Amino acid sequence: MTTNTAYGAVKRPEKSSSPWAIARRKFLRNKLAMISTVFLGIVILLSLLAPVLAPYLSPIPDITKVNIGKMSIPPNDEYLLGTDKSGRDVMTRLLYGGRISLLVGASATAIVVILGTIVGSVAGFFGGAVDSLLMRFTDFVLNFPFLVFVIVLNTILYGIVDGLWVLILVIGLLSWGGVARIVRSKVLSERENEYVLAAISIGTPPAKIIIKHLLPNVLSTIIVQATLLFASLIVAETGLSYLGFGVPEETPSWGNMLAFANEPDVLQGKPWMWMPPALAVTFTILSINFIGEGLKDALNPKSQR
Amino acid sequence: MLKYALRRILGMIPMLILVSIVVFFLAKAMPGDSLSGEIDPLNTNPEYIAEMREKLGYNDPVYVQYTRWITDFVQGDFGKSTRYKLPVSELVAEKLPNTIFLALTSLLITYVLAFAMGMYSGRRPYTLGDNLIFGFNYAGIAIPSFVAGVFAIYFFAFKLNWFPFAGSVDIEVDKGTIEYWMSRIHHVMLPAFVLGMFSTASYTQFLRNDLIENSRKDFVRTAMAKGTPTGKIYNVHILRNSIIPLVTFLGFDIAALVGGAIITEKIFTYPGIGLLFLDSVTSRDYPTVMAITMMLSAMVLIGNLIADILYGIVDPRIRLG
Repeated sequence: MTTNTAYGAVKRPEKSSSPWAIARRKFLRNKLAMISTVFLGIVILLSLLAPVLAPYLSPIPDITKVNIGKMSIPPNDEYLLGTDKSGRDVMTRLLYGGRISLLVGASATAIVVILGTIVGSVAGFFGGAVDSLLMRFTDFVLNFPFLVFVIVLNTILYGIVDGLWVLILVIGLLSWGGVARIVRSKVLSERENEYVLAAISIGTPPAKIIIKHLLPNVLSTIIVQATLLFASLIVAETGLSYLGFGVPEETPSWGNMLAFANEPDVLQGKPWMWMPPALAVTFTILSINFIGEGLKDALNPKSQR
Repeated sequence: MLKYALRRILGMIPMLILVSIVVFFLAKAMPGDSLSGEIDPLNTNPEYIAEMREKLGYNDPVYVQYTRWITDFVQGDFGKSTRYKLPVSELVAEKLPNTIFLALTSLLITYVLAFAMGMYSGRRPYTLGDNLIFGFNYAGIAIPSFVAGVFAIYFFAFKLNWFPFAGSVDIEVDKGTIEYWMSRIHHVMLPAFVLGMFSTASYTQFLRNDLIENSRKDFVRTAMAKGTPTGKIYNVHILRNSIIPLVTFLGFDIAALVGGAIITEKIFTYPGIGLLFLDSVTSRDYPTVMAITMMLSAMVLIGNLIADILYGIVDPRIRLG
């Protein structure tokens, strides 16, 4: 073999890795991001398996039933995280609460990414009047004080649509502005490339150019944005539920559980009722942010790591 | 410059009108008659209600109602609170000073801390101190403010007893005395810190990175070659360049404080506009909700306007573009 190459037989150049493969390799080498991914995976798994796991981890696998005889028990061998003021097991509610908080975060993120991408890419691709009209509208949406309008809209829609979906819709409809702006600016610079001009000149319909040619090149930005959004929308859910304007009270979510901390005696003397959800939210958000930073690094061809 | 500022201010007016239309229709969409607390809720006689509705103009076309509402609003007549039976403007005037005090203290803490930490980190990058500050900042950016607030109360108010956990002032002290103001400052410290945590962290990181970047520029090398002491180079030559972008953040801060104040005031049961807003939503006191929604939206717009104008002052390219 080795002798052959000496006689000038050209060795086939190794196929260079695709950008996605390079990104994957960079991400796998990033320790903090990998630890966070594993942690987030465990959190998601625990939440998804809540109905299966609850009977093993707690003597009360029910989330809503009030147990008068078992109120405010501190953590012990039987009740690993104690019980709350209505005698419901904190561990059970923490597992089920994770489902709701993650579900709201993920669904709202999906709405935001879809809306933001559509508005941003249409504005960026067509430019001109369409662009300025859409961007004015985006500015308009971005100019609302988010929290105030979510609370007001929630009060109006409450009772018309099922509680959880009100929250998801309202959060989603008010948060897409940032994504739209970023996608627009990316599409705007990508559009200057010759392949777009070529596609236009052979008569490719605009929708096809956007979906097949432009969006794949913007995808890495969208992925990073979606990750960071997921974290901030989980914060939005927990914050609103903490204030009492989020997920309806009977459904446990991390924010609803944290709302117990509104009572000074619970905050001071019964930390087992609010500390688990507070820590769960904090670590989940931190891990998602680390993953986001890792992805940003991995998908950036200029970063050498 | 004046022309640029005027253009910005004029550009804000259509935005304000649009926001007011949205707020008006949101209020109309709320269950019940939301624009006034004039109808006596105990009198259920349908004739009385119909008469009052006619008298208050609820049967007029929508645009007439809107015009009437916005005209009153601009003149400072926000309607009457259904809950307290008081003009909303009085309610707001009672709570507003507390919120302004909270916001100003928070801004002060933010800028002082961000300067101290940013200057330290920027002069000694990649040292232990810099890394510690970075860790603190990462926590400040990533941890949600309500979680931070709850933990702050638990540790600093209950465990260490350093700060009170609720309210804006002790009840025993007399208004106007030195003790009164000391008590107010004592009460506002913890909420103000929590409220400013996010901006403190982002400003510190911004100032640090800007200092490091500027310290590699030519004018620094020149100053060093002339033998200017390092301290003077940092405090005079570099800082002057790095401060400028930081000042422009002020406008965005005003917008961020609006949302932040609602959560912070709730956590610390601090009697300000945010708490009044939440209570009004809960008790369905719509005139108050609308007035505050409109006020806060205007604040965000004004905050963005200030940011734009400050940018224009700092960077001439923007004001000509």
